[in-house]
Amino acid sequence: MSEQTYQSVTDAVCHITLHRRFGPYWRAAMVAAMALTLLLASGIVWLLHEGVGIWGLNVPVAWAFAIANYVWWIGIGMGGTFISGALYLARKDWRNSINRYAEAMTVFAVSVSGIFPVLHLGRPWFFYWLFPYPNVMNVWPQWRSSLEWDFFAILAYLTVSILYWYTGMLPDLATLRDRAPTLGKARFYGFMALGWRGEATQWRRFETASLLLAGLAVPLVFSVHSMVALDFSEALLPGWHSTLFPPFFVAGALFSGFAMVLVLGIPMRRALGLQEYITGRHLENLAKVMLAVGLVVDYSYASEIFTAYYGMDPYEVAVTTHRMVGPYAWIFWGTIFCNVLAIQLLWSARLRRNHAVLFGIALLVLIGMWLERFMLIITSLYQDFTPSSWGMFYPTFWDLAFLAGSIGLFFLLFLLFVRLLPVVSMFELRKLVPRHSGESP
Amino acid sequence: MSSLIPPSPFDVEAARRHLASARGPVFWRSLEELADNDGFLRWLHQEQPQLAQALSVDRRGFLQFMAASLALAGLSACGHPPQDQIVPYVHAPEGQIDGLPRFFATTLLRDEYAQGVLVENRMGRPTKVEGNPQHPASLGATDIFAQAAVLQLWDPERSQTVMNRGVTSSWDAFAAAAAQATERHLRDGGKRMRILTGAMTSPTLSAQLGAMLERFPGATWHVHQTLGNANARAGARLALGVPLATRLRLDRAKTILSLDADFLNDPTAGVRYARDYAATRTPEGNPGTPSRLYVVESTPSVTGGMADHRLALETDRLERFVGLLARGLGIDIEVPDEADAQQVRWLSALLADLKSNRGASLIVVGASQAPWVHGLGHLLNAALGNIGTTIEYTDPVERNVEQAASVADLVAAMRAGQVDTLWILDGNPAYDAPAHLRFADVLTQVPHVIHLGLYRNETGMLAEWHLPTAHQLECWSDARAYDGTASIGQPLIAPLYDGRSPAQVLAMVLGQNLQGRALVRQQWQQQLPDETAFNAALQQGVIPNTALPPRTASVSATFLAQVKLGPTAGTALELLFRADPTIGDGAWSNNGWLQELPKPLTQLTWDNAALVSPALAAQHQLRNGDVIELRLGQQMLAAPVWIMPGQAARSVTLHLGYGRRQAGRVGDGRGVDAYQLRSQSNPWGESGLQIRATGTRYELASTQHHFNLEGRDLLRVGTWAQLRTDPHFATAADPYRGKPPSLYADRPPGEYAWGMSIDLNACIGCKACTIACQSENNIPVVGKEEVQRGREMHWIRVDRYYEGDAANPRAYSQPVPCMMCEHAPCEVVCPVEATVHDDEGLNVQVYNRCVGTRFCSNNCPYKVRRFNFLQYADNSTESLKAQRNPEVTVRRRGVMEKCTYCTQRIQSAHIEADKQDRRIRDGEILTACQAVCPTQAIRFGDIADATSAVAQAKASARNYVMLGELNTRPRTSYLARLRNPNPLLGEDPP
Repeated sequence: MSEQTYQSVTDAVCHITLHRRFGPYWRAAMVAAMALTLLLASGIVWLLHEGVGIWGLNVPVAWAFAIANYVWWIGIGMGGTFISGALYLARKDWRNSINRYAEAMTVFAVSVSGIFPVLHLGRPWFFYWLFPYPNVMNVWPQWRSSLEWDFFAILAYLTVSILYWYTGMLPDLATLRDRAPTLGKARFYGFMALGWRGEATQWRRFETASLLLAGLAVPLVFSVHSMVALDFSEALLPGWHSTLFPPFFVAGALFSGFAMVLVLGIPMRRALGLQEYITGRHLENLAKVMLAVGLVVDYSYASEIFTAYYGMDPYEVAVTTHRMVGPYAWIFWGTIFCNVLAIQLLWSARLRRNHAVLFGIALLVLIGMWLERFMLIITSLYQDFTPSSWGMFYPTFWDLAFLAGSIGLFFLLFLLFVRLLPVVSMFELRKLVPRHSGESP
Repeated sequence: MSSLIPPSPFDVEAARRHLASARGPVFWRSLEELADNDGFLRWLHQEQPQLAQALSVDRRGFLQFMAASLALAGLSACGHPPQDQIVPYVHAPEGQIDGLPRFFATTLLRDEYAQGVLVENRMGRPTKVEGNPQHPASLGATDIFAQAAVLQLWDPERSQTVMNRGVTSSWDAFAAAAAQATERHLRDGGKRMRILTGAMTSPTLSAQLGAMLERFPGATWHVHQTLGNANARAGARLALGVPLATRLRLDRAKTILSLDADFLNDPTAGVRYARDYAATRTPEGNPGTPSRLYVVESTPSVTGGMADHRLALETDRLERFVGLLARGLGIDIEVPDEADAQQVRWLSALLADLKSNRGASLIVVGASQAPWVHGLGHLLNAALGNIGTTIEYTDPVERNVEQAASVADLVAAMRAGQVDTLWILDGNPAYDAPAHLRFADVLTQVPHVIHLGLYRNETGMLAEWHLPTAHQLECWSDARAYDGTASIGQPLIAPLYDGRSPAQVLAMVLGQNLQGRALVRQQWQQQLPDETAFNAALQQGVIPNTALPPRTASVSATFLAQVKLGPTAGTALELLFRADPTIGDGAWSNNGWLQELPKPLTQLTWDNAALVSPALAAQHQLRNGDVIELRLGQQMLAAPVWIMPGQAARSVTLHLGYGRRQAGRVGDGRGVDAYQLRSQSNPWGESGLQIRATGTRYELASTQHHFNLEGRDLLRVGTWAQLRTDPHFATAADPYRGKPPSLYADRPPGEYAWGMSIDLNACIGCKACTIACQSENNIPVVGKEEVQRGREMHWIRVDRYYEGDAANPRAYSQPVPCMMCEHAPCEVVCPVEATVHDDEGLNVQVYNRCVGTRFCSNNCPYKVRRFNFLQYADNSTESLKAQRNPEVTVRRRGVMEKCTYCTQRIQSAHIEADKQDRRIRDGEILTACQAVCPTQAIRFGDIADATSAVAQAKASARNYVMLGELNTRPRTSYLARLRNPNPLLGEDPP
């Protein structure tokens, strides 16, 4: 960033949002994302009309794709909050060029994930019964259920993520407003900027708010993933009933979150010409963190297997064994390949710096994490205590449609974000400029 | 109505519009106009002949009739109040209290034999069947078919009107035709008239049939039974000289040998026999020695599953085994000694046991066995001194079939053109007569076929006249039970459709009184001389002193000279035909409850399959669901395979009753039609089967996929010997005594503490509990595709587990309702308090609070929760609504449900007790599963009351809870199964 000035940074980022012509690739991506979103929408209509029976659920496997999707997406969301919040609190300035899109990713991923717990209900229109509102039935939620804790955890997390993301965008929205070439754009960004004028008092309050929100967001990241883990730990099912789950889920979330930041960042910096801002060093740092948390995840796998056999509980042993050799063994070994073996390549600096390889590994991690969630859910359910009730789960078309559709919706939101909002935080980048160029702030 | 589009110029739509716009007097005038319209009259004659007839009789009557009928037919559109005077319900019938059920004793038939039942009637609607404790074949329990009868009653696809050559007709039109036919046949004494029936135990019908044959001396009576007891009858004739009926006294038997006899599931007396048998096997309060059951059979049966020792032998080897047994008991018979080492050991142990229990042993021969085996059975029982003790002979219960000709004779006569009128009094020979007779083809050559039936089935479709039979719950009837006890069937409801009882139809021909009650009343004039006696018999559900007395008979072994057994064929396969365990011979095909009831041994639903032994499957590399081609002589049939542990190696079993073409929406096109392979020579099976894998697959829907306990102690088994030396064997391996410790204080005790005990030693796995629960609790039928997905809704399932060698394993059944855990894992995980505990210990499911997270189901270690993944309850079929129990919510989609211990019955008892200011008595509440259980394996009540039956059961040393180590503290507990192996045979091999 040696040649960058305030002007050049602002020009470059504003150009993308205000003047750049988005070419056929963006359009093609939009069409694909919209098509998948339409699939999701039609799936939702059909689901509401028919019931959750359109999925392959049954007894004993009463949870499957929808919950796997939910846990996967919410885990992906963690990457953004961690980058912008934790690294902000730790004063790691290198994050300044990637935090905006990572945060956007968080908001979109959490929003997409939030669809699933609601639609997954047998009667989704009553989801608000989980909320403790005064009602004529005189009933409160059941506070011992982890689903109740989870409901609040997601709600709090989504709220804080959106606030943090949006507040952090205010100065940049004001910049866009000021530079808008048309009245329409000026009004749009002006409305979004909520009257930001860049006054010193505003900046002071802004800084305090950012610090507070970051301070809120970071513990929430840990709480929300611990709560998600407790959705499983609270049950007495072998394979779920484990105190290891909360830290294990936090690590897993960070793992998939960083993978998604890489999967989005590598093509985006190229497409939008952001190599100046999202540099190789950024990607390498992300890769290192991903490897580190990946190893924590791998450790969890090992300790889970160890605990099962060391504990000698026949049900735990049976579930663990069935995971590795049963009909769903391919999912277990797929997970091991993606999450354990593939990431070992990142030890090599040469491979780590090869962006194509890095992209591939990050993609494998995303797939691996989905498989892992799916495995965790399915393999504990399909063969539990009573052999007479053992049964397989087979996905239906709609199971796959909802997974594909959720990916479509996520990318639709992200593509719109790239098109309409500043993808890099201009004001935070400007903070980096003086130190490098010697200009006074 | 689409079939009623008139080909004539009369415009029905215009008439409908015209009538719909009319009101009051205008309406009447319109109808008059209509009655004078030529086009309408033509249309009426073509499409609504019964209305046209009414018109020809009396114009005024016609107008009244039209007002009601057209309203029903939708011609006048809906919305008009009926013109007839209607009577408000001010003075209720005596004894009727709105909303409270009343019970009526009546009689249901299975294979024409009576089963006494009590039918629950709610505001005039029969909704649930219970057993009649006074009736000898029931003793308060029923089989699955009696439970399903109530759904059959409300089946919207039952035959509704008289049909003449496929066109709606009327009883009057039929009466005219019948009168003509009578006149015609009276001329030549009825030589060209034939009557085809099944077996017949109804004294009224039998007398009417006698009168028919008297009136038409030239007419011939033919009997067609799909399976029936012809072999037993022939066997009795061989050994006893007369075709006497055999009655088992299992309560007196110590050593029982079943030769392919499934007596615990016998169609005529299974419910009673199961009770008698279980009583000899309950250790509590039974100081004597238990009975010991040996079973030799070709295909696994419910009885085989209860055996202490079981041998799986193909029919030919079984026959030689019986021969050797007979020789061992000193009967001279020519038999090759082919027994292997295991058989020899088995035989010597069995012989020792039989000989040491002379007079208290019992050899039962299955209906499938050849007549000479039945005959030999009589000789063996006589040799062991069992006749008069464990076996009683009586006169035949059925109308003497010996006077009847066979269905083959009938076909021959039809072919020869000797039949002008054929009466088919119920039955479906076009579907179930032996295939090579080509009954359906020949039937079309008969000018006048009159078919009576509950459904317009394959035969009804071909008949000139199809007459709808009234359901047993709609009409007066009578019948005899297995021991001859007669009982009367009284109608619980006026016929829903235009049905009449067979007795009424015969009465039409005989010119008798058409009133069903009068017909039965007259038949029993002697035994029940006055109304008081008649009403008392109705109330009790049995006619006193009608059981047949035991008869003496002497056996003769002369027939054995004809029996020559050569060496067995070696490798030839045999195909066995058996009635389907849940839909019988096909008569119950259109019953969703029975179709979806997992078949007791295979857990299959909605289909039949070729049951093959594990050895045969291995030889042909077959998996469950692989389609094989079965070839028997010239006939060929493709059927999916189900590998049946315990099946004799060379036997393949195919159940009858599937492959229906005119059963209705529920039954059509399901499974394969085994009748196509069946010949006249032996209805039970034939040797010389060839099989070939086709390489295609067929998806079968089983409710259980894993039959191995995986070493888990969910089902605990010991022996009687163990019970004496180590009474607490069932809980010996438990890591704790009593309740495991908990961090939480126990709940404060409520007024009652409901609990259940299930005796695995008594449970025979008949599944009556599952279907009784379905009937009581409005449990929907989900269909085959949903069962395949694992979404069946039964609240109480009967698990089946196998132990040991798959060629001949030990089999166990375990009913699993909700465990009503005191520490219920389902309750803590529900976020909306939709499943909660009440102070009487019930784990309560609140349907209208449930949002459907399904976490409770995931967290239930017993997997007893059932979820409405789709809208399963049928809310659109009107007649099915009437069947439902109004005290139980009909669940909608998206909510969880499960066993409630029949909470509605608990509440009713609460109300009754509160009204009388007393506590609920022990035994006052019977859950549906408990009430129906033939062996009384299920007990329910207040476990806090030490004197209650359930508390006493739980005090047994055999008591254990499933998965107690999870500290769920189930209120449902089990009593361990006990086996009583012969010490000479030891434990293994069985």
